[in-house]
Amino acid sequence: MINGVLIYSSRGDLIVCDLLKSSLKRTISDIFKIQVINSLEMKSPILTLGSTTFHHIRSSSESKLWIVAITRSNANSGVIWEFLYKLDSMLTAYDLNNEEKLMEKFMVYYEMIDVMLTSNAMPINTELSSIASKISYRLPKTISNSPTNEKNNNNGLSIPKFLTRNSRSMSQEFSNITQSDIPWRPTGIKYKKNEVFLYVNEKINILVSKDQTILKAYVDGSIDLVSHLSGTPICQFGLNDYLSMTGNNISNRGDEFRHDFMDDEDLSTGRSSSSSVKIEDCTFHQCVSLDKFNDERLINFVPPDGSFELMRYHVRDDLNIPFKVTPRVSISSSRCSMRYKIILKSLFPTSLSAADAMLKIPLPPGTVDCKINASSGKCNFSTSDNCAIWKFNKYKGLTENELILETVPSSSTDILSLQQWTRPPMSMNFEIIMFSNSGLVVKYLKVMERVQKYRPVKWIKYVSKSGSYEIRY
Amino acid sequence: MSDQRIFTRYRASEIGVDLQNSESKKLKNNVLGRKTALRKIIANLTLGNVNEMSYLLPEILKYWQIEDDYEVKRICHEYIRKLGPSKPKNVQEALPYILNDLKSKNQKLQILSLKTLVVVPSPEFFNEAFEFVSQTLNRLSTVKDELTKEAIYCISVLDEADHDRVLPLIDTLMDIIENESKEPSFIVAALNVVCIISERNTNMSNMTVRVDIAIDILEMLPTLNEWEKAFVMECFTGKVVPQTHMESTNIIQLVIPQLQHGNTSVALNTLRFIFYLLNYVEFTTEELSIKLSSSIIALLNKPPELEFLILRNIILLLLSRENSILNLDVSYFFVEYNDPIYIKDTKLECLYLLANEVTLPLILEELEQYATDIHIQMSRKAIRAIGNLAVKLNKESADKCVECLLDLLEFGVDYVIQETISVFRNILRKYPDRYRNNIDILVNCIDYIQESEAKNAMIWILTNYSDSMHNCLEIFKVFSSNIKDETLEVQFSILNSSIKFLMRYGTKESESICMEVLKCCTEEIDNPDLRSRAYMYWRLLTLLQTKDNHMTNETVLDIIDGDLPVIELNTKLDPLILQELELNIGSIASIYLKPVSQIFRLNRPKLLISSPVLNPDHDSLKIIKSNSTYDEFGNESKNLDNQRMDRRSHEMVSTNSTMNAIMEDYDKPAETINQLKGNMKSSSTRQSRLSRKPSQLLRRLTKKNHSNELIIHFLSGNGCLMFFHI
Repeated sequence: MINGVLIYSSRGDLIVCDLLKSSLKRTISDIFKIQVINSLEMKSPILTLGSTTFHHIRSSSESKLWIVAITRSNANSGVIWEFLYKLDSMLTAYDLNNEEKLMEKFMVYYEMIDVMLTSNAMPINTELSSIASKISYRLPKTISNSPTNEKNNNNGLSIPKFLTRNSRSMSQEFSNITQSDIPWRPTGIKYKKNEVFLYVNEKINILVSKDQTILKAYVDGSIDLVSHLSGTPICQFGLNDYLSMTGNNISNRGDEFRHDFMDDEDLSTGRSSSSSVKIEDCTFHQCVSLDKFNDERLINFVPPDGSFELMRYHVRDDLNIPFKVTPRVSISSSRCSMRYKIILKSLFPTSLSAADAMLKIPLPPGTVDCKINASSGKCNFSTSDNCAIWKFNKYKGLTENELILETVPSSSTDILSLQQWTRPPMSMNFEIIMFSNSGLVVKYLKVMERVQKYRPVKWIKYVSKSGSYEIRY
Repeated sequence: MSDQRIFTRYRASEIGVDLQNSESKKLKNNVLGRKTALRKIIANLTLGNVNEMSYLLPEILKYWQIEDDYEVKRICHEYIRKLGPSKPKNVQEALPYILNDLKSKNQKLQILSLKTLVVVPSPEFFNEAFEFVSQTLNRLSTVKDELTKEAIYCISVLDEADHDRVLPLIDTLMDIIENESKEPSFIVAALNVVCIISERNTNMSNMTVRVDIAIDILEMLPTLNEWEKAFVMECFTGKVVPQTHMESTNIIQLVIPQLQHGNTSVALNTLRFIFYLLNYVEFTTEELSIKLSSSIIALLNKPPELEFLILRNIILLLLSRENSILNLDVSYFFVEYNDPIYIKDTKLECLYLLANEVTLPLILEELEQYATDIHIQMSRKAIRAIGNLAVKLNKESADKCVECLLDLLEFGVDYVIQETISVFRNILRKYPDRYRNNIDILVNCIDYIQESEAKNAMIWILTNYSDSMHNCLEIFKVFSSNIKDETLEVQFSILNSSIKFLMRYGTKESESICMEVLKCCTEEIDNPDLRSRAYMYWRLLTLLQTKDNHMTNETVLDIIDGDLPVIELNTKLDPLILQELELNIGSIASIYLKPVSQIFRLNRPKLLISSPVLNPDHDSLKIIKSNSTYDEFGNESKNLDNQRMDRRSHEMVSTNSTMNAIMEDYDKPAETINQLKGNMKSSSTRQSRLSRKPSQLLRRLTKKNHSNELIIHFLSGNGCLMFFHI
């Protein structure tokens, strides 16, 4: 299906030219370079010329590699883009996600792609721990275990410890590939200390209209897991999901774990334990038994080793909105200036605080300076993006701050240009630890290993970040 | 040696020297040097230095024999794979080495060799690969083993080379598919290969999968990995033909959980499979439509390229069914400031398609926002959408759209005005009298108009509403006197309008304008079409003056100034094309929304195969509430349908009101209020930092230290993770 994979540096130097089908000519790589990389107008992520189609993505790392798939028929774009993203995260896991490294170790790519694709170039395996057990290169050790440190936190991958091998000679390795019954988990994993790390990462998206009504508000969340567990553990996982809480099976669902994670963080997440969240749409990692979820709303799974994204969810109702921004903007016709009066109020509990809270206030064109008075925090005028940035290193809960800002226009600015200015929305950035915008609470995580019967250590962290937090005025 | 760059063009002799050097002593860094030299060969093949590198085959073969290192082995194979396709003759010598690897005990190496074998397009390589694959198929193990799986997938590559020889193997593959005792991943592999082969070879009969076999395979889904699940869903679409309503609903029930798979392709392929199966049911349930809608929304939360794909497919689904199964909230399609332009564009189209009388106010507010967007293209599209909505929806909605457009006119930016005027023409065509009062406002904008489409629209408006204006001829003169500099379209409009004016009024003024225009068109402008039309009008006018024919003023007026047909917006695609596109959800064709045959001529077109339960018409599909039974439905389907619509619109309203209510709900009183102190300061005064008093500096430092401490404290708590005893 995929007839070729090309990887270019951000400038357009070809690093990998992997033509999987003999009918393709090498010159095809020049075509993509001319038509897409060097073209300024080309904006779409897909290009079809004749019957040849290029799907491309830019890699998540800073070096912004171009990762391209070539197809010749009416291929399934969903499969192709999904595969390209998986390939990208695989390159990241092997620390090949920048030009220099990839130029040096491009053979790792060839080895990787051999496992990831079948001989007729269909993606078949993209699970890191499974691939790592099949190729001879070691995973680099430097990658952090925490999925939150990843740039692209939907692909939080990291190194399973057992995979560190020293010898590369093939006479010692791979003589027998042991296949377990579970495609994503090799057998014989062993840890001295059994640990599970749970991350609840949420992004809140909100759009507030001029008259302060909320046009849309939703939370996109993901639950990422880093599992360092021996053997073949079976995990069960519970949330304060509305449907599973109100279902009939609530009583027989084992009160024994009820107190696993509860008690303490109910206070911090600002929600009482009795309340529940209506999770509208969720998707799961392939390890989760979907039938079981569908029938009983239980999340049961055998985790892959290392880190992975267990589920994604989407919540729209009853959100804990963390900040309220009340802008009042007026035009002073005598001075041709704009006057902003902004009240920023945090709505989360006082026990918490937001890190790196930042409000970006777009200013009209022709602004040369502004007069600022802020009750707290720092506010600076940034000439490069023509906006004012109001910053707080730390913003405490239930706190109100005020900012008054008046623009100083250049001499050529006229009142009409102020009136006609399109006023792009103000936007906010922040990160709150141990707060959940959706009110989602992990109620329990039960780990069972039939043979070894250990009790793993469990960790949990809630991180709420701003997605697109926009306020019109 | 190793400090030399790998990605540079080298001559074969240079790399040869490198390799020889590395052999002189058996030292550790020589092994490294050899690998670097070998890597240079592959890099050079990537760079296109193929001829030069083909001289190095003897060197490669030498290392093939003596090396036990896996990386060197891999480089050797990669060399053959890269060189083979363009120079199959040259790599002939390597065949024994590859076969040797294929016979080894190491399965990893065997797979590697098999993949290399099938890449090289030469009969010798083909024979060996074919031999190996047939043998493997004959002694098919029931144990899960990678080599067998790979061998099955190879068949589809071999088929491309020589279809006739592979044909007998297909029966064996069908056996595998129909024998459920076999290893699941073999079954999927076989299924996949047979599907691909039958799709590629249009002379083969269309492959179908029996329903009972399909159900057996679907029951194995939990044991398959994500990509295998995606293949199964893809293969079954169009290949499994349910014969009864029960069969279809059973299959749907089996695959529904897969909608929640994290892998986009699994979820999307499942969606496609379900939409395909919905052609074979007598009715569907509301529960299913909720599940489908929510899975689509979940799919939107993906990287931009995938989001784009989903949005394009939403357009397809909205177009294909009049009475949509989906129930999507419009707010998901509101454009975000940071969206890439291709997503903004597509969201706009979705908004347009989702608009109905209930959702219009919300959508209109958004569109008005986009119309003043910085991005000109976006702004124009938004205005066009507003105009089209006015034509598409009912009268009351048109009022709202017109109001919105008039607001935009006041905004005073030229492209906004021009676009608005252009769309207004269509609205006026649909409602000729409803907005007569607003004509003046439109005509007042005449100074902003520069583009030909807007000019056209303005001329049309002037001409059609000339009776409600006292000075229309004067305004028209602005255009007619400039006729030579206009684009062809505008010239046509001017010509038509000048004739209309003459026929309507017959005044001196209109006559002089008309004569001038006719003269200019026939004598000064080169375009033959314009010239002949001008002549045609001219003859018409002369005919009118000659007495002895039946041409009257009325007939001529009828010809040149007749009633225009009522305008209608046709967003519908051909139902057959839509049917085909629905079978191709998620594919490249679904992005372009074009029939597959238009883009890829060689593909076998997908068609719905007939069955006793095949629905002839998309729109006749009924959705019933999950608890209603079949009998109830038979009698009251219409009723239920209406109820459903009511309920939906009711929901829409209620979500709106809850949305508005949130704002009051979520606000809480602040405990700390920081008041403003001091005066406003200029942000660019930097000297203050320099002239800061030493005591202030000290305070700053201590503050900084304090915050550092805090961080350290935080980290020592194990990366700010909370710990719970169990």
